[in-house]
Amino acid sequence: MASRVDNLARMARAATPTALGLFGVLLLALPLRLAEGFAPTPILPLVVIYFWSIYGPSYLPPASVFSIGLLQDFLTGGPLGLWPAAYLALQYVAVSQRAYFYGREQRVVWLGFGVAAAGVSLMMWLVMSLMSGVLLPIWRLAAQMAATAAVYPILAIAFANLHRRVIVET
Amino acid sequence: MRLRRRCSARRAKTVMEATSPVLAVFSGPIAWVQDRVGAVGDYFNVLEQNKALREENALLRQWEEEARALRTVVATFEALEGYKAPPGAKPINAFVIGESNDAFAHSMIVNAGARDGVRRGQAVVDDLGIVGRIADVSNNASRILLLNDVQSRIPVFVEGSYVEGLLVGRSTARPAISITMLADADKIEVGQRVVTSGAGGVLPRGLAVGVVSEIDDENAIVDLIADYARTRMVRIINYRFPTVNSEEIVVTPEAMPEPATGPQTQPQQMSPPAPSAEAEPAPTVSSIITMGEPAPPPEAAPDEGD
Repeated sequence: MASRVDNLARMARAATPTALGLFGVLLLALPLRLAEGFAPTPILPLVVIYFWSIYGPSYLPPASVFSIGLLQDFLTGGPLGLWPAAYLALQYVAVSQRAYFYGREQRVVWLGFGVAAAGVSLMMWLVMSLMSGVLLPIWRLAAQMAATAAVYPILAIAFANLHRRVIVET
Repeated sequence: MRLRRRCSARRAKTVMEATSPVLAVFSGPIAWVQDRVGAVGDYFNVLEQNKALREENALLRQWEEEARALRTVVATFEALEGYKAPPGAKPINAFVIGESNDAFAHSMIVNAGARDGVRRGQAVVDDLGIVGRIADVSNNASRILLLNDVQSRIPVFVEGSYVEGLLVGRSTARPAISITMLADADKIEVGQRVVTSGAGGVLPRGLAVGVVSEIDDENAIVDLIADYARTRMVRIINYRFPTVNSEEIVVTPEAMPEPATGPQTQPQQMSPPAPSAEAEPAPTVSSIITMGEPAPPPEAAPDEGD
């Protein structure tokens, strides 16, 4: 009996990053309309994927990342597969640079996130512009990415505590 | 006997008459004292009364909240009633429950779906004008593609200049009209109203879209009437274009002219006595095209066949 409860608890802990990513997508799909729609909504899944790619890639397998992106595509109605591709690319790059970022100062990791967000923005913008046939305005996406980068430090502290105290707790 | 009774009645009246000022004078202070002191019994159950009143107050406050919420809903409904749907359209009311906070994909999710009669392509309006059209439908929810999404293309018509075109979303707040028809775009002026044209047979004609705000070399930029930061309640127009079923057309022998070797693309209204080459498809096509639209100018008609 106790072992089953332990198993459930372990599974819940292991699924927390994925659940957080999916929750972030739901947050993106809510009609929050921050400041009458002028303030862009931060892309929470981007932070989740970047954070766990560096501090615990085994807790966020590519299948999870793919499903997070797929849910976002389904809810926002964009071209199917774009967000999964962007998120998987982010994860690939972040995991490949893990050795550099792991254990570094938070400022450096934050800067890395900024660069990664800029890369994802550029990719999204190029693909969407190609698909629509005109050069789309990028400022809205840039504002959204800037908002995401702005909230990154707060989320990183929260996620670090969650990761250390709950998820990998033995 | 009768006389005495009448006298006594009169006497009672007189006494009442006489004492009433006195009574009035005395009743004033008594009432004043009673108002200040109150019923003695109330002193003993004041706590219970207070409690009951507080509970009632809380309940009423909830009701007040509900009434206020309902008042806004009713006001929105009343505003929505201002739009007169075309005959045959059954409007479906829905609330916005989701919105894509995405840089490029602009859509909203509403809580009405296939079960309520929503179908792909239907127009969505609010109390101001068109919001978008239905892009995806599930059983209980559907997604509206907003007019400023990069994938959005709706046929529009500029009032006053008689120019038809496609309104193309550009992912900015203001979509642009790309002029597709042979009408000359020079006639478009800033400030002219843009409405749906009904071309293509998907959206009803005449839904308010916006106002021309800027004209550059190739496009006319349109300020949308819809305010997406405030869209909460919408109405989906379950509209089906009236079409003529070709099987229902009965062509009587005397009405059908002799088949001749005229060009197939010749429009019917150009030459009333001339025979049309194909009797069957021609009425169907012309009836769809002319549905609720002004007749095309004569010089434009021959080009339509191309």
